[in-house]
Formats: sequence, C-alpha cells, structure tokens
Amino acid sequence: MLRASVLSMLLALVACGGGTRSHQQSMVVLGIDGMDHGLTERLMAEGRLPNLSRLAQQGAFQSLATSFPPQSPVAWSNFITGLDSGGHGIYDFVHRDPETMTPYLSTSKEPEPGRTLNIGKWSIPLSGGEMELLRHGTPFWEVLEDHDVPSTIVRMPANFPPSGTAYRELSGMGTPDILGTPGFYSLFTTQPERITSATEAFIERVRVRNNVVEAVLHGPPNPLLVEPEELEAPFTVYIDPDNLVAKIVVGSEELILQQGEWSDWVPVSFDLIPYVQSVRAQARFFLKAVRPEFELYVSPVNLDAMAPVMRISTPPDYAVELAEAGGRFYTQGMPEDTNALQEGVFNNADFMAQASIAHAEIRDQLDYVLDNFDGGFLFYYFGNLDQVSHMMWRTMDPEHPAHDPVADAPFVNVIIDRYIEVDEMVGEVMERLPEATTLVVMSDHGFTSWRRAMNVNTWLLENGYITLMNPRRRTGIPYFGNVNWARTQAYALGLNGVYINLRGRDANGSVAPGDRNRLIAEISNGLLSFIDPSTGEPAVTKMYARDEVFSDDGYLEIGPDLIVGFAKGTRGSSESALGEFTDEIIFDNNKPWSGDHLMDHEAVPGVLFSSRPLTREVTSLQNLAAALLAEFGIENFPPAPQRPANEGGE
Amino acid sequence: MFGGSKISLDKGLLARVKKFADLAGYSSVEEFITHALEKELAVLEEADSEEDIKKKLQGLGYIS
Repeated sequence: MLRASVLSMLLALVACGGGTRSHQQSMVVLGIDGMDHGLTERLMAEGRLPNLSRLAQQGAFQSLATSFPPQSPVAWSNFITGLDSGGHGIYDFVHRDPETMTPYLSTSKEPEPGRTLNIGKWSIPLSGGEMELLRHGTPFWEVLEDHDVPSTIVRMPANFPPSGTAYRELSGMGTPDILGTPGFYSLFTTQPERITSATEAFIERVRVRNNVVEAVLHGPPNPLLVEPEELEAPFTVYIDPDNLVAKIVVGSEELILQQGEWSDWVPVSFDLIPYVQSVRAQARFFLKAVRPEFELYVSPVNLDAMAPVMRISTPPDYAVELAEAGGRFYTQGMPEDTNALQEGVFNNADFMAQASIAHAEIRDQLDYVLDNFDGGFLFYYFGNLDQVSHMMWRTMDPEHPAHDPVADAPFVNVIIDRYIEVDEMVGEVMERLPEATTLVVMSDHGFTSWRRAMNVNTWLLENGYITLMNPRRRTGIPYFGNVNWARTQAYALGLNGVYINLRGRDANGSVAPGDRNRLIAEISNGLLSFIDPSTGEPAVTKMYARDEVFSDDGYLEIGPDLIVGFAKGTRGSSESALGEFTDEIIFDNNKPWSGDHLMDHEAVPGVLFSSRPLTREVTSLQNLAAALLAEFGIENFPPAPQRPANEGGE
Repeated sequence: MFGGSKISLDKGLLARVKKFADLAGYSSVEEFITHALEKELAVLEEADSEEDIKKKLQGLGYIS
C-alpha cells in the first residue's frame, strides 16, 4: 500500500508537468506579422538586411502567398491548421448569424453565464464559463505533440483562449484587456475638448485642485453583484508645484513621473467583495503634460501577468513564469496603441515611444524563451512591424492623403527601421542557435499604402442590389438599420465579405436559391468593372466566389458568398464593414491608419526564409506547416478535417 | 400573423405612411408598417451586439 501511494505521488508529479521537455531535433520559427516580400527584397538588395541576406544564402528565401482575404485571423488560421477557411471556419474578422443577422467576432466568443447563487446583492458564481475559440481544425502543434515533439507557441494569433494542447503556450492576438475589449486607453485631461474623434476610450475631464487630481480607473462590471456595477480603482496625482513632475498613488503603489515619462507596469486592484475578493490587473501611466494643461494617459488595463484572471497560457502558470523572469508585460493581444494615435491622443512620437516599449518586452522575452528551449518546436510572434506599418505608412508615402511633409519628416524611416531591427534580431538569434537548429522566418501577409476607401454597401446600393426604406437618409444609421430587406439582394459585412440575401438562409432573405449563382457572377463582374474616378483604375482586381475557392470541409456555409480583392492601395471602408453607407462609393483615406493589407492577396505576399532548404515545396501559408512538420518526419498534416456534428442542410 | 390589437394613427401620419409605402413599392400599408416596426425592433435588439462588435473592431484598429 505504501509503494502504491509513493507511485501515485510520483505519477502526480509527472502529470503536473514539472520539469522541462527536450528533443534531439529543434526548429525555431519567428513569425513577423506583416513583413512584406517586396520591401524586404528591396532592402536586401540595398544591403540593409545583412543577416536576412545571409539566412537566404545559407538556406532559402521566397515570397509566401497569403490567405484570401489577407486578414490576420484568416491567414494565421490557414497556417495553424493547414486548411483554408472552409475547414477552419474563419473568413473575416466579422461573421454574422444568418438566422438573426447578429454580427460576431469570428475567432472567439464569450461564455454563456454559469450557474450562480444569489445572496442579497451578491451573485456568487458556482460554475465558470471560458471564452470559446471558434477556429476549427487541428493546430499543427497538436500533431507535433502527438509525435512527442514538445512545442512552445508564443503569441500565436487566433489562439485565444490558448488551445491547451502545446507543451507551452502564451496567447496573443485576441487576448482582451480586463474589460474584455481589445484594449481601450484612458486619458485624464483638463482639456478633453481637444479630442474630437469618436472614441471608445475613456476621455475623462479632471480638475487640478491645489495641485491634486483625483480620478478612477475603470474596471469591468462586478460579476458578483446581482445588479452589476462597474468596478473602479481610484488613484490620486500630486503635482509638484515647481517642477514638471507628479507623484501618482494607485492603491498601495506610488510612482513618480516627469512630464513625458512612461511608468513601468503598476499593479491595480479592483475590489469585488471588499476585503475578501479582488481582481488583479496592471496598467502603464504616461504623464503627457503637467501644466498649464494636465494630461495623463493610462494604458488599457491589462490582465495582470503575475495573476491573470483568464487563462492566457498553457500551463496556466506559464504567463506567471514569464512575468517572474522578466517582469510584467502587455497581456492584451495587440499592445501597440494604434487607437491613441488614430484619435489624436498620441502624436507620432508618443505612438512610436509606446510601440517601442511594447516591442522591447516581447524582444526581451524571446531571450528567456530561447534560454529555456531544449529542442523541439518553438514559434515566436512579433506584431510590432505590422502595427507600425499600419499607422506610419503615410510618413513614407508622399502620395498618401494623410501625408504631412513637415510633421512626418522625422518619421519617414520608422518602418524601414523596423525591418532593420528584425534583421538585427535574426542575426542575434542565428548566433545563439546551434547549427543543427532549423531557423525559419515567416510572415502572414505583406503591406502597402491604403490611400482609397471603398464602401461596398454604397456600391451595392447605387447598383440596385440594396434598397433603403428611407432613401433620403443614407448615412449615419448603423448596421443596415435603414435597409428594406424585402427588396435587397446582397449586402457587404466585415472587411472583405459580400453575402447574397438568400431566402431560406438569411433571416430576411429575398433571393431565391436558384438566382444565387447568377447574382454572384453579376455582382462579381460589376465590382471588377468599377473604376475609381480618382485614379482611373479598377478599384477591385480580384473577386473570390466562396464555393469555387474554398474547400467544403465542414464550414463552407459560414462564409460570405463573395470575397472582395481590392486593388493595391484600396481597402474596404470602416463604414461598410458594419453595414453603414456613405455619400460616395470611394473616397480618400485621410486617417493615420494609412498602411494595410486587406486587398487582392496577390498584392501583399509575405516572406519565408529558412536556414536550410525545406524538403517540401511551400507555396502558401496553408501548406507551410506541413512542410515544417515534414522536417520532423511527420507526414500526415493536416489530418482529415473534423466536420461539425450537426452538419446537414442549410 | 397579425396580433389581435389595432392602433390608431394620426391622419397626417397615415397619409405620409401611405405615400411612402406607395413610392417604395410596398404591396400594402400594412406591409410597410410591419416591416418598419420589425426593423426598428431588430435595431434595438441588435444594438448591443452591433455596438459590441464595433467596439471590438475599433479596438483592433481596422475600423475607426
């Protein structure tokens, strides 16, 4: 009996995953979101990327075809599963439930409320609910693990919540802040009227009284209350009367910042039940201005890396291990605060400073991860180049509508500098990896200037495919609110999708199934024929009919009937994405978000480097993972797609 | 399909409804009124969901 109990203890220790796993073979894949093949090739030819050039000579370099549409959740899902959208079920950032026409984010959904016990004003959860990952298909690392290849997957996009099937995982793109959003900042200011853009961020007017500012950080609704109230974390700012310095007190934390200075991560606590239960979080403070006007920017309140209240890693304490090793880090999936620049809270310099802070954390963490990598497979993701490209492309494109030759001059090289920084990092990684380790550098798509915005819903309206109930009220009504569905044949939703308003499928369907294919062809030809009056060129260079381009691997019906491949330089407008109309079909993009990739997939290929030629040919993101697994002698990827259990009928 | 209650409409409003229903090609005033009410209710019911999605897309930066 004693031996049996000792044996169970030993088995329990092994099952806890204590200790590291090793493998005689190893591969490191660096995923550089948005690294453009054309720009990379040009910089290599100019001699500005010596390490990548060396990597290419040693092994291989090629362009890597991206997904259609070239949206990150689609592209990364193609890579992760080896399937196309018909197999993994992700076609766009936004899908809709055809039975209700309710839109939803395509990659994950919030949990159903669990069982609760109500005591007075308190509602005690008896069962939890976790976010559900909506991406289908078998992630390649599961197959590696099945073959005893330990896999470390760091910040893989479209993997929140983390799959739980890798040796080590940290979730990335898709991971929310403490409010459950992608990350909205707070600005505490004596002049909120200077922010004129519409924003979801917290722009709070504060008053300076005797050099003191009192304010609160916003938390989530208290889930333990029957009548939910928003949680708050009060803080106080004590401004130095003589110098441009302030002391900020948040709970038991105190920090001193000079004007223009960023803080480190500050732990923040939201009380659920006073003295009994609290939610831990973290935030960074940026003292933008002290006087005459006061402005304090606070980052989105992130899940505390030291004690995340949602599962963001595998095992659950891997995030804590990383934080204890290198300090707290942005847990929100996309840490660069593009909204703050887009909305005028940040200027270019502020944005680049914040982006550099976010990137430095991730770059430093790579060293720790490599120090603890003992063979097997490692994927490590960088999003900084993508986010800087989105926001700063206008600085290096004099033809861009938002280009300001004076204000942009100091920033004209920021994107090139990101490429050079990637090259330096690759060089450092090449130096420290054993020769036998295969190094792969890849990207999910390329990039280009986004100069023209096209509202596909407005095009559909002006070409008779949409009818409005009140034609005099075209703009300013959200989510198809003015659409006469009985007389509407098609609608655009998401950043690239067009749906036929099909009877028997869509809630307000008006098109007979027999007319679907005719309409698909007609709309396709119409969009391809549409000429941008500003450029004299087609605004759309490719149209993808769902049933022709995707495999029917169980999730074909989720997708839009058509995907629009906008011409290089043109993208779908913000209004069109969620069913709003504009006065014009196509117009200038005047926004700071000035680079993009949501176009004809052939216009924005990504890159693939490897330190040795891969034995299998790779033509696109979709067959990359199979080629990587083949290097481990694993041939059967992807496995047969899992079809939904209730498949059958529309 | 139609519930058991009737509602009264101001004559001026009814005239406008009839005129618009005609112009927009509805087969009857009832069809237009039903459709308009359904749309308004759907907007109210879906407002939370659409607002939520809009917030999340704005958070990602792809729409503004």
